[in-house]
Formats: sequence, structure tokens, C-alpha cells
Amino acid sequence: MASGYPPPFEGSAEVKEGFLCPLCLKDLQSFYQLQDHYEEEHSGDNRHVGGQIKSLVQKAIKAKDKLLKRDGDERTETSYESFYYGGVDPYMWEPQELGATRSHLDLFKKHRAARIDHYVIEVNKRIIRLEKLTSFDRTNMDAGKIRALEKSVVPWVSDQDVPFCPDCGGKFNIRNRRHHCRLCGSIMCRKCMEFVPLPLAYKLTSSTREALCVPGSPGKGGSPGAGGPVVQQLPRRGSISSLSSVSSVLEEKDEDRIRCCSHCMDALLRHQHKLEEKDHVPDIVKLYERLRMCMEKVDERAPEYIRMAESLNAGETTYNLETAGGLRLEVQKYYEHIDALSKKILTLGLKDEVQPHPKTLQLQRMVRYSATLFVQEKLLGLMSLPTKEKYEELKEKRREEQEKRIQQERQAALEAQKRRSEMEKNRPILSANGDAPRLAQGPRMTKAGGWLPSSDAVHSRSRELDDPLLQQINNIESFLRQARAANRTDEIAMLEENLRQLQDEFDAQQTSRAIELSQRLAEEESLQQSQLQYLEQRELESKLHTRERSLDFGEEKNVEEHGVTGSNSREDLNVSPVLSPLLKTQSIKSFPRLPGNSPPLQRDERTPTPPAGETLNSSTSASLNPFDEDATPIEEDPTNPFSEEIQKEHGQASSRKNKEYNPFEDKEDQEREGKESGPRNPFEDDVDNDDKGNPFKETSNQTPAASTNPFDEDDDGPAVDDIIEEELLLQQIDNIRAYIFDAKLSGRTDEVELLSQNLRELQSTLQEQKRKTH
Amino acid sequence: MNVTLAVKQYISKMIESSGPGMKVLLMDKETTSIVSMVYTQSEILQKEVYLFERIDSQNRDNMKHLKAICFLRPTKENVENLIQELRRPKYSVYFIYFSNVISKSEVKALAEADEQEVVAEVQEFYGDFIAVNPHLFSLNLQGVARGRSWEPTVLPRVTQGLTSVLLSLKKCPMIRYQLSSDMAKRLAESVKQIITKEYELFDFRKTEVPPLLLILDRSDDAITPLLNQWTYQAMVHELLCLNNNRIDLSRVPGINKDLKEVVLSAENDEFYANNLYLNFGEIGTNIKNLMEDFQKKRPKGQQKLESITDMKAFVDNYPQFKKMSGTVSKHVTVVGELSRLVSERQLMEVSEVEQELACQNDHSNAQQNVRRLLQNPRVSELDAVRLVMLYALRYERHSSSILSSLMEELNRRGVSEKYRKIVQAMIDYGGKRVRGSDLITPTDAVAITKQFFKGLKGVENVYTQHQPLLHDTLDQLIKGRLKDSQFPYLGPSSLRDRPQDIIVFIIGGATYEEALTVYNLNRTMPGVRIVLGGTTIHNTKRSGIFTLYFIQNGMRSDSHSSLEWCYMKSNQCACMSPSSQSSTLKRRREYSVEAKICFHLPLFSLFLSITCMLIITFVYLHYL
Repeated sequence: MASGYPPPFEGSAEVKEGFLCPLCLKDLQSFYQLQDHYEEEHSGDNRHVGGQIKSLVQKAIKAKDKLLKRDGDERTETSYESFYYGGVDPYMWEPQELGATRSHLDLFKKHRAARIDHYVIEVNKRIIRLEKLTSFDRTNMDAGKIRALEKSVVPWVSDQDVPFCPDCGGKFNIRNRRHHCRLCGSIMCRKCMEFVPLPLAYKLTSSTREALCVPGSPGKGGSPGAGGPVVQQLPRRGSISSLSSVSSVLEEKDEDRIRCCSHCMDALLRHQHKLEEKDHVPDIVKLYERLRMCMEKVDERAPEYIRMAESLNAGETTYNLETAGGLRLEVQKYYEHIDALSKKILTLGLKDEVQPHPKTLQLQRMVRYSATLFVQEKLLGLMSLPTKEKYEELKEKRREEQEKRIQQERQAALEAQKRRSEMEKNRPILSANGDAPRLAQGPRMTKAGGWLPSSDAVHSRSRELDDPLLQQINNIESFLRQARAANRTDEIAMLEENLRQLQDEFDAQQTSRAIELSQRLAEEESLQQSQLQYLEQRELESKLHTRERSLDFGEEKNVEEHGVTGSNSREDLNVSPVLSPLLKTQSIKSFPRLPGNSPPLQRDERTPTPPAGETLNSSTSASLNPFDEDATPIEEDPTNPFSEEIQKEHGQASSRKNKEYNPFEDKEDQEREGKESGPRNPFEDDVDNDDKGNPFKETSNQTPAASTNPFDEDDDGPAVDDIIEEELLLQQIDNIRAYIFDAKLSGRTDEVELLSQNLRELQSTLQEQKRKTH
Repeated sequence: MNVTLAVKQYISKMIESSGPGMKVLLMDKETTSIVSMVYTQSEILQKEVYLFERIDSQNRDNMKHLKAICFLRPTKENVENLIQELRRPKYSVYFIYFSNVISKSEVKALAEADEQEVVAEVQEFYGDFIAVNPHLFSLNLQGVARGRSWEPTVLPRVTQGLTSVLLSLKKCPMIRYQLSSDMAKRLAESVKQIITKEYELFDFRKTEVPPLLLILDRSDDAITPLLNQWTYQAMVHELLCLNNNRIDLSRVPGINKDLKEVVLSAENDEFYANNLYLNFGEIGTNIKNLMEDFQKKRPKGQQKLESITDMKAFVDNYPQFKKMSGTVSKHVTVVGELSRLVSERQLMEVSEVEQELACQNDHSNAQQNVRRLLQNPRVSELDAVRLVMLYALRYERHSSSILSSLMEELNRRGVSEKYRKIVQAMIDYGGKRVRGSDLITPTDAVAITKQFFKGLKGVENVYTQHQPLLHDTLDQLIKGRLKDSQFPYLGPSSLRDRPQDIIVFIIGGATYEEALTVYNLNRTMPGVRIVLGGTTIHNTKRSGIFTLYFIQNGMRSDSHSSLEWCYMKSNQCACMSPSSQSSTLKRRREYSVEAKICFHLPLFSLFLSITCMLIITFVYLHYL
């Protein structure tokens, strides 16, 4: 793996083959994968200026991650790759749609509907009859009377028709007597007979009444037809049970139950189950629902946190350390919930007298198991946050890296510039005197002030046009990201379409500008001829170029000492994109070698205006010797807005997130452009209304709370120190506990020991820490 | 064309369409193995499926808070069980999926049983086969033949399995079959019949080149399953018996309790996926690397974690470490066991002679080698019989065949009558009389030159020089040169272009060697996708070819199981220390290098001189 992902900045001379992504050199095994990968990762980034650097940074992080973590897979992977030639590995076959299916649901429903109607009617009939049977006071009524009543509810099957029990086939005789089902009137033997206890009957009827909303009770007064015959049919009772009245009286104590056949009983019972289950929610379901809710929350929050932690660990300033910490706590709380809930599910019903069915227990175990799996997988993926100091270090490192890179770029630009020094020399003469130093400082200017409009009106206008476009692209890309995260495919498609259009537009502009620029160059060439009288002055200025460049760097160091560097480096991000429309297709290193055929490049280097201080300087002094003065305004001027900013920052910074900065920043850029393209002296303006237009303010905005300001760090440094240690310790203790739990669960005792030893050590360290602080 | 994915998608779809909530998966015996091949337990748990039940199991509790997903084959018993289930539903909702076509009357019977309206879905999802690899499926059917024709109950099942593969891949193919086999023809016709009957189902978007179904018979190439294999997957299957991606290691001496049964699935075991098709020597190296990496990552037990950073590093590495330790211990055990068996049974020597028998044409050398090995007491009974079978197949009609004396040799070794009978059965099954295409000696000029050039290149590895017949068949098929006289089309139409999507089905079972061939063909031939299937996946001891012979000869299958039993016993005897394991690995590698050199130096120089001459002649002619 490590060899497969060369860090993009070091330029390994390795030769790779296969389906490589042209941008990140990732080997993707198959054409389809490469296509997918390209569409996903690079469709937007390459055109878009800010995105380019971002993707580079991401790549750097990725490369680093791969180097650090995936070392282990290296050999197996490479051997796998070496196996690879031509065709398509069956594992890489393109995704396919779901295989054929056929639904029988319609047919099924048709048949079922017919059946269900019948069934429902049958059950309802039985319920109604049951209601009639239970509507009178059975205990105080004469048995014969009851029988008559019962008979009136449903016509009884005549005895002669049924010589054998229909259920068991036994012959009826004196010993094996016939019994009638009170619900359907059919005949069965005693063995096949069942009883509906009265409570059940009441329950059934009452719930049905509620369910069906039958007004009143048809059994009582509602149906005179049923109540009427009761008296008339009374005498018939004797004739039926006259033969064996003694035995029948003994066994037929039907006071608290209603006899019925097994079929009716079955139907009634099933009906009752259904009714019971309708509004019964077992505990496990309630707990489970809560468990799932927590899991969903984790799924939602964890990726966000990981993104934050990754960015923070890489020393980026996009996110705030504290918000990330808060989020971490939140996620961890959810994990605790999940753990507790699943434990509860596991032990559900274990304390009851009647042990639950083994399958129920198995279900509970499985739920618990899946919850542990979930926690294991997700929690262990939660990387820890850097401590504050560490974060500072990281940021510093990252800035240095960027600094280095930009240095390189500048070097490259410098070379390119040298080659075109002839052309360059022309330009200052064209414009005002003070422009000379500005030109030389080109690349640096940009980073302090965004891209300022150049001296040419045409340029500045196209710039202004340009910027909103980029901004749009930027916005759309962020929308796109959100949409992807939310899995809204339709929106993604729309946005992508949008993005493509914008990019095309942007491209068109770029080319037109390039053409314009080359024309201008030609013009300048001709002007050069006509301006021979300024030859001496020009020579002087060319010297100035080189000298001033060296000053440029020194000056930058100055600035760093003032603690603006954090922001500087961020701004630097903007420089290289400006430099490099070329970057789209070529590596950074190859770019300076091709100055001749890159008109946009030339333009970019020339156009930027100086930062406020220097513009002021050059315009006011109007001298050819800005060196000594150059440094002073920078040193002095910032002090004023800075101290203000620092104070403000203390209050605000913690609550800020960098996400929001992007549009804000853009807006500022725009505003400044608008302003600065008009008046040539933006610095004074900025000082006047330091609310928005001030570039320094912006810089301080960009550095989040715990950022580069050396001033505030000193005051509360030690205290913060301890707190962080504790935090980290606590975090680690949490983690270790999770591992111990996990290890215990899978029965690896040696690991448990090791872990618990660690835990003890950690806890003792924690206590020491606490003692120290108090 | 990915069969694993096809089944997996079906299952995922089932689970998804049942919505959120706790679920139970109701399956029968066969669908259980179908599902377990594509989904692991932890994967399916994530989709809220917590219980797995057999529809025929009586011990199921009422759990109205669960949703039931039923994935069943449309057999009579299943439908009957399901009807009972619906009469007294144990779960709240039922989503019913049949793995194949179900009749209307059965749907009606089910509907009438559903009085409580618990059924929410009735569908056919055609996952009626066992997806082993993305390009390999099996039907897990043994003993498909009775004599030279189908076992009557099996043909419908094979037809169902094959049509379900077609449906799940959404292919409505043209069919070619092997003319020499009656079984192939019967199966082709019966598949065609289903396609015609269910024309609505097979109404897929037409592709430019229609897909092709090629039906072959194992008897055409009886040699391939007799060879010992050296790729990881094939070895595991042959020596440890891979069953639904699971291997049973409980017979391994001194095995850890956790590793009694091991799951090897390319879906979620990266090491396995990467090494499926590598040969044993390479795996040895890879596993060594894996071990080293593991050792590096492993936190030392004694080492104190002194600083917070140490601590942090440990914690960060822990999950990785844990995951790795599982993989490492698993594969080290498996490979260790393989190497133990290899050295115990002297499989190196055996395999070399096997390969020589299969690929070279040197009778005197072969007979000497076979005889030598038969006299070697360490060679297992099974391997001895196998060698004789190979010899019998290879030199069946050779003028100075020593088969009879070899049989005597077997007798002297104490190989029982039963096994000796198998040799004859094998000749009956896969002998010259039966074979449609010529397996061993190439006849046409193209094949001869091909073999010549193959010799020229030198054999890369003596243990893997054999190419199954399937390779040539498919190669010809892809190039459009497969003879219609041997592999006719079913029906009037024939394919004019070269085929792109090919499904090969081998009656009598496929082997992992053939799977490897198909895999390599897929990788080397652009624009061609081949899926291989068989009634089973062979290994010599458990499934396939032996069962086949027993059934053919009217033997009872219990004799088969006795064979297996005595084989198992021989496995249990010897035990080996880890140090000798690694030395075996090393020895093997040295051996292979040696063998390569001594084998091919003379041959190679000869061929080299011939080619030089040829080239000179060509050049000369050209200039004339």
C-alpha cells in the first residue's frame, strides 16, 4: 500500500500501471471503479481553485494515513496487484441490478379476500351469539330456562342426523351422549367439547362491542326476537334431557361457562389473541425502539465527529477543538445509552418466575450482541482529539509545510518571472512609479488581500465577474457535499448539472481572459519599442526587482513574529490556485518549466495588488526606495487593529466554526475588491471601517479560539494544560473501559488483565494530576 | 454476472422491504445454506435480523413483536409447513419469498390459510443456488446420475437451479450442450422448456450478443477432479472440506476451542480474498508476512505503557490489532494444518506424479513413478487409488499398459476390493469410449503446435502444469471456434458473434481448479464474462466423483461413508510440531525450484535450438 500511494509532494519516480486515477494515482483495479472514483472525487475539485489545494491537502492526509495505518496490508496488496493483467476480475464486475422477481401478492390477496370475508362473518356471528348467551343472569336462572334461551340463539342440529361424533368419529349412545355447541348448534361428544368461561366471554363481547361500536347490546332489549321465544320454548327442555336427567344435571353445571365445539372455541381464542395483541407492546419492543433511536443518532453524529477529528488531527483550522470535544462527549453518551439499553434487553425477563422461552432469550442475546458489535465497530473508530498543545504543534507543522510548499511555488514563479524579465520590465513604466515594487511582490500580496484588482480596468472587471462564479461553484460544491451526505440522489444530480454549467462558464472566461492577455502582451511588446527613452530607469527598476524580492521574504518573517502567520498560511492557500489553472492537469513541479505557453499564469502573477500597508507606502512615498519604510508601517499599523482583534477574539472565537467562514470570507473579498478597484489606497479605508473590509480582521477571524495568538496563550497556559491532560486521561480511561468490556465479552482474559493494568495506571496518573492542580 | 451479488441483492431486498423493527428469517435447509454463503451473521444482524429459524422446526415461540421474512424453496413440504404456520401465526407479519416458480394453486392454498391477514408479501426471488464465488455457483447435489442418465428426482431440481441462475442474472440465453452426453441434452431441453413456459419471466432487455449457456458433462474430463490442487481455496476444499464457506477443524490435533469451525469467506476476509487463487508456496510467504506484521503491531505483554502517548498509540492500534489477531490465528491454523497434511500424505511427490501423468506423454517414466509411489507406505490409500485411476484413464489403450500389475500392487497394499472396483468404474465413467472430445492426446495440428509452444515456454510450476479441458473448451468458445458438431445449439438459431456473457454448467460437478481457470479467463479476456456452475463442487473424498461411481455400480452409499471414515482416521494419526511445519514449507519451495530446473533444462535447450532454426528458415525465406 505504501508504495501504492506516493505522497504527491515528494514525487517518487515509481512506475505504476493499471487503472490509475490521473489525479491521485490511486490504483482502482477496473475501469468502472476508476470512472466512479473520478466522478466522485475529482469532478469538481480540479477546476475549482480553492478545491485544488484542499484536495491536495486531503491527499496528503490520505497518504499519511495510508502510510501509518495500512502498512500491514502492503504485501498482500501488492502481490494481488501483480497478479492482475488485462480483463476484469469477477470481483470487480460492474454492479448489476436486482435479478428478476415476480409478485404473487395480487393473486394471493384475491383468494384471501374471499376467504377472509367468510371468516370474519363467522367469527362475528359467534361473537354476537356469545353476547346473547351471556346477556342474562345465568346463575339465578333455572337450567331449563337457560337451555331454552340457548336454543333460541342458534338452531340446534337434530340428534337423529348425527349418529357419530363428527370430530372423533365415536358412536353416540347412552354413555357417549350428544352435546350441542351453543355457538353453532352442531353436535359433538363429550371428549370433543370445550367450554368458554364466562369472564372470557364477557371480555370477548365487550371488546368487540367497543371495536365494532355496536350501539347498545343486541342481546338485552335490542332484539325482541331473541328474547321473545325464551318463554315459549321453555317446556321443550324436559323432552330432550328426560332420559338421563340425573347424570345430565350432575355434569351439566353450566352456570359459569358456555359449552361449545372445538372449532368455535378455536376461532374465539384466535380472535381474542388478536385483540390482545393489538394494543400490547412488550417491554423488549419499547427498549428496542429506544436502542435504535440511539443508534441512529450515533450514525448521524459519529461521521461528523470523525470528520472534525481528522481535520483537527491534521492541524487544519476548519473546526473548533471544543465543539469537537463536545460532540465526542455527546457521541460517547449515546454509546453508554446503547450499552445500558442492550444490557436491559439482555436481562429482560430473567428474574421472572417462569423463564422465558429459549428463543426469546436467544433474541435478547442477539440484540445485545448486535449492539455490542455496533459499539465496537463505531466506538473503536472514534479517534481521539489532540490536546490543545498538540493541536498547536500540529497547526504549526502544517503551516510550515504549507509555507514550504508556497516557498517552492514562489521559487518556481520567480524563475518563470526571471525568464520573462524583459516583459516584466515594461509594465512598471506604463503605470505609475509606485507600481514597481508592487509588481515584484505579486504573489505575496495576494495572500494578504485576496486577489486584488490590477491596474487595468479590464482585468479588474473580469476579476469581479470571475469571483462570484467561483463563489457559486464553491457554494454548490458544499451543497453537493451535504446532499451526498443526506443521500438525496435527485438533488445531487441537479447540483452536479449546475456545477458543470458553472465550471464551463468559468472555463470560458478563463480562456477569453487568456486570449485578452496575450493580446495585451503583444501590445506591450510594441510599446516597449517606443519607450526606449526610459531605458535607464528601467534598468534601475530591474535591479530593484531582485532586491525587493529578498526583502519580501524577510518581511514575511516579520509578519510571522506578529502572530498573523496562522492566517497568512491560510491565505496562502489562495495564492497557488491563482497561480495554477495549470495544476488541473500538471503537477506543481512541472509547472514552472512551462512559462511560455501559460498566459493565465503571467496574468496571475502580475495582477495582484499589494496589501494595504505597502500600497499606502508606495503611493504616499512615491519613491523608488521603499525598503526602509516598507517594514515600518507593517510593524506599526497592525498593532492597532490587532489588539482590538485579540480582545474580541477571546470572547467570540470559541463559539465559531470555520464552516461559516467560507462564504463570509468570500464576501469580504468581494467587498474589498469592489472598494479597492476604485480607490487605490485600501488601507486607510480599512482602518476607517474596520468592521468588514479590514484584511487583518479577517485574518483573526480565521484563526479559531486556541490559535496562533501568542499573547493570550501565555496568561492561562498552565491551567489549561492540566485540564487537557485530565480530559485526555478521562477519554483514554473511557476507551480502555470499552475495550475491557469487549475483551471480557469475548473471553480473552490475558487482554483483560493487560487492559485493566493500564486502566489502573491511568487512574493513578489522573489522581496525581488532580493533586498537582489543587 | 456476479452470482454472489445477485443472491445478496435478493436477500438485502427482502430485508429492506420489510421495514424497520426486529426480524426473524424463516428458512428451510437449503435456503439456509444459500443465505449463509452470501451473508455473515454480523452483517445480517446489522439489518435487524436477529433470529434464524427453520420453517420445519417445532421449537418456536410466539413472538408477535417480530416480523418474519420467509425465504423458502417452493417444495411441497415447505408450502405445507407454511400453511400450518399461517393458520397459527407466531409472528406479526409475514413476508414470503419463494426461491423459484410456485404454482397458482399453491398460492391459493396459502391465501386460504391466511385467515388472520398476516401475509404482507408473496414473491418469487430466484436465489435458488449456492453462490460460492462471484463467478462460481453450485447446487450442492450429489449423486445426480444413475448410470448414464439422470436420477429422476434430481433433474427437476437441477433445472430449477439453473433457471434461477439465469433469472437472477437476468439472462435469457442460447443453449449449447455437449453432444456426447445424454444428460447434457436432457438438461438443455428441460431448461429450454422452462424458458418457453415462463416466457414472461425471461423477457429481459435484449443485448446485442445474447448470452450463452453451455452445458457440459463431467465424464468428458474425469481427470481434473483426480488431481491434487495447490491453490488455497482448492486445497482447503480438498484437504479440509469447505462446506458453505465453513471448514471443520475439529479433527486437527491440538486445536484451539475457538477454531473448531472456521468461516472462510472472501466477502469479508481480506487475506482470504487476496490469496484464494495463489498457490501454496506463495501463501506460505504471505502468511509469514502477515505474522510479522502482526508481531509488529502486537502490544508486548511486558512492556509498560509509560507515557500518555504510548497509551494513546496502544489504544489507537487496539481495534486493528484485535481484528488482525482473528485473521492471523485463523489462517495460520488453516495453513499449518494444510502443510501438515501435505507432508503427512507426501502430497508433493504424489502431486508431481499426478501432474506428470496428466500432462506428459512418457509411459515408461510414468509407470515407474506410479509403481514407486504405490510401494511408498506413507502414501495414503486414497491417493494410491487415485494414481492408479489416473494411470488407467491416461494409458487406457496403451499397448504396454501395466494396469493389471498396478491393480495387483494395490491388492498387495491391502486396498480393499471396493476401492479397486472404483478404478474400473472410473474407466467406465470417463474412459475413451465415453469422451466426446479428446482429453489427453491432441489430434489436430493447432493443438499440437500449441502444446509444442507450451513446452517451449517451460512449465512455471511442476505442480500446476495441468490445464483442465474446460480451459480449451472455453477458449475455443470465446474465439468462436467451438465445433457445432460436438457442442450443438439447442434449437435452430446459432450465435454469429463471439459470445460475451457465458454461463457454463458442468453436470457431475465443477472443481476449484476449473474455477481458477474461469477466473483467469475472466481476467485475461477483455469483454468476456464467464460464470461457472456445477451440480456440486468436487473434492475427492466427500462429494462428487466417488458417490457417482458408487451409484453407478449399484453400491450403497454407506460404503462411501466408510471410505470417508477410514480416511478421517488416517488424518487423526499423525501430529506435527510447528517447526517442522515451516520446514515443510521451505522444503517445498526448494523442491519446486529443483524440479523445475532438472525437468526443463534439456527440454528447453532442445526447443530453443529448434525455434532458432525455424526462425532462421523463416528469415531466409522471407528474403528470398
